[in-house]
Amino acid sequence: MLELDGLTHEYDGARAVDGVSLTIPDGEFLVLCGPNGSGKSTLVRHLNGLLEPDAGEVLVDGTVASEDPVAARTTVGMAFQEPRDQFVAATVGGDVAFGPENLGLSHDEIDRRVEAAIEAVGLDGREDDRIETLSGGERERLAVAGALAMEPNHLVLDEPFTGLDSPARERLLARLRDLHADGTGLIVVTHDLRDVLHDADRVVCLADGEVVVDAGPEAATEELTEYGVRVPDR
Amino acid sequence: MSTATDSVDLVGDEVAVNLVRAALLAALMGAFAFVSFPNPLNPAVPVTAQVLGVFLAGIYLGPAWGGFAMALYVLAGVLGAPVFSGASAGLAEIFGPTGGYLLSYPFAAALIGAVVHGVNGLVDPEGVSLPRLVGAMTAGTVVIYALGIAVYWYYLDTSLVAAIVGAGLVFVPAEAVKMAAAIGIVRSDEVQAT
Amino acid sequence: MLGYQHGDSLAHRLDPRTKLAVQLTFAVAAFAHTDPRGLAVLTVVTAGALASARLSPVAVLWGYRFLLPLLAAAVLFELVTLGPPWLDLAAAVDPLLASYRTLLIVAVAAGYVRTTAARESRAAVQWAIPGKPGRLLGAGVGLVFRFLPLLRRDLAAIRDAERARLGDERPTRERLQTVGAAGLRRAFARADRLAMALSARCFSWNATLPRIRFRAVDAPALALAAGLAASVLV
Repeated sequence: MLELDGLTHEYDGARAVDGVSLTIPDGEFLVLCGPNGSGKSTLVRHLNGLLEPDAGEVLVDGTVASEDPVAARTTVGMAFQEPRDQFVAATVGGDVAFGPENLGLSHDEIDRRVEAAIEAVGLDGREDDRIETLSGGERERLAVAGALAMEPNHLVLDEPFTGLDSPARERLLARLRDLHADGTGLIVVTHDLRDVLHDADRVVCLADGEVVVDAGPEAATEELTEYGVRVPDR
Repeated sequence: MSTATDSVDLVGDEVAVNLVRAALLAALMGAFAFVSFPNPLNPAVPVTAQVLGVFLAGIYLGPAWGGFAMALYVLAGVLGAPVFSGASAGLAEIFGPTGGYLLSYPFAAALIGAVVHGVNGLVDPEGVSLPRLVGAMTAGTVVIYALGIAVYWYYLDTSLVAAIVGAGLVFVPAEAVKMAAAIGIVRSDEVQAT
Repeated sequence: MLGYQHGDSLAHRLDPRTKLAVQLTFAVAAFAHTDPRGLAVLTVVTAGALASARLSPVAVLWGYRFLLPLLAAAVLFELVTLGPPWLDLAAAVDPLLASYRTLLIVAVAAGYVRTTAARESRAAVQWAIPGKPGRLLGAGVGLVFRFLPLLRRDLAAIRDAERARLGDERPTRERLQTVGAAGLRRAFARADRLAMALSARCFSWNATLPRIRFRAVDAPALALAAGLAASVLV
């Protein structure tokens, strides 16, 4: 379970995240939306202790995230924007192995996790492919695999659908539905709700660093249009 | 959780950022190897931008990480990344006639970094005086050519004069152009040092 | 251009440490025996190395063609004299042998480059250099392999944009400056995102090394390396 209590983050005195309190249970599919600059990306970087709060705190399964970053980062996996800039190896398999290697796991355990993660995102058989040869949608799924190899309880995806054509979005979404069905919590950051609204358990919307909407998908839709969030046409 | 998380010794954020910047500067230098420009003084010998990478490593990363970046460049090339001139790679480059240049890069970048930044932490390169920048890069260039010519001379069993002309003098004017370009980059506001 | 290619040749199956040992001892032996007899023997070794990597000598020469003018220049410089007898064959013998030696070393090294994945090389680095320096060098080398194609594309895009806007008329200094500044800015922007991604995946000092192990096929190659090393003392 992830608990945010009065989380505040400032950049040069400006509040990017302003006193946010949220509780995210295990297994929840949460969509975090809001216009550009509303503080979404900053907020999720607190969930695994990549940033330190200026006020308030973030608890990951009861432990302060920035005090035990290894626990936070293995509990909350993260796929950032611009997947190209987060791959560390030349090949698909090599990249997915990076997280488990850092955890000092045995070779057999690393192999098992790499294989499972690559299969979970539908890239099986591509282990030896060079990353430059992947399409945009495959790169996004590889970023997800890299995070999954840490075997997290929650998976954060920051704007995963940006730049993907509609078949690629659908393929990614299908994988996310499977993960969610298997019990992985999902936190999808997006400024465009059309892809994920109907799958989500809950929609949280930020504006100027504050939570302005926190509701189920049906109820949220009503309130969202006024905050500049694109919602699905019906 | 199956992982014993307390046995994982995380690399600190500052080291991670410096390592990544050094690695990307080394890769940028490898990418420079593909970029050649006509030499204004001697059209027969095109200018590659590589030595510009040595200058930038010292100026932007300082003595320690700038030198480390160049060590990464050489090591990655030896291990097969096509980063050397002509997009070549391999241990043979070190044992080849131009190996001296390659081996000099880490030392040259460290020296440039030390002159620009001193040894107590990094300064903003934009605030460094022009004579200091020029002095740093001149010193770095001297190191590069001293080692480069010495190896070329020893290696190919030519006369020293032949080595100095063939491996040094024909290239030196182009280095002045790269220094001017490096100064332009530092003064251009386009690159944030931190 | 010669680069790594996935494959199953004999050289592919050798441990990277074995291949590095052969290369190093070969180079040292070539320096110790830069005479017609020594180079003849080493030519046979080179042929064996190329065959084990299924690499043709023509491909190697083509891959390193930029070296040829440099080597030819060294020979010509000694061969041609500025007065009678105009051609001094005796003086050209040493540079000629040295140039041939270069080609042999290049060919053996090309075998390594063609058959060794970045991951294996990284493991060999960390095996040879233990502790934190080895970890930084190993991780850094991996990142250079990964990001070289990206930055190369960045620079190509910058140059294309420049050419479209300003043509090829501007002085070399200005063009170097534009390409250098834009290239560096993009590289640093990528670096900041990448550093964040490394931290999120628990980038650690005590990571598990990729699997490398000596096998039976390494024995004859290691014997060859030992023989080359011993030849230096004879």
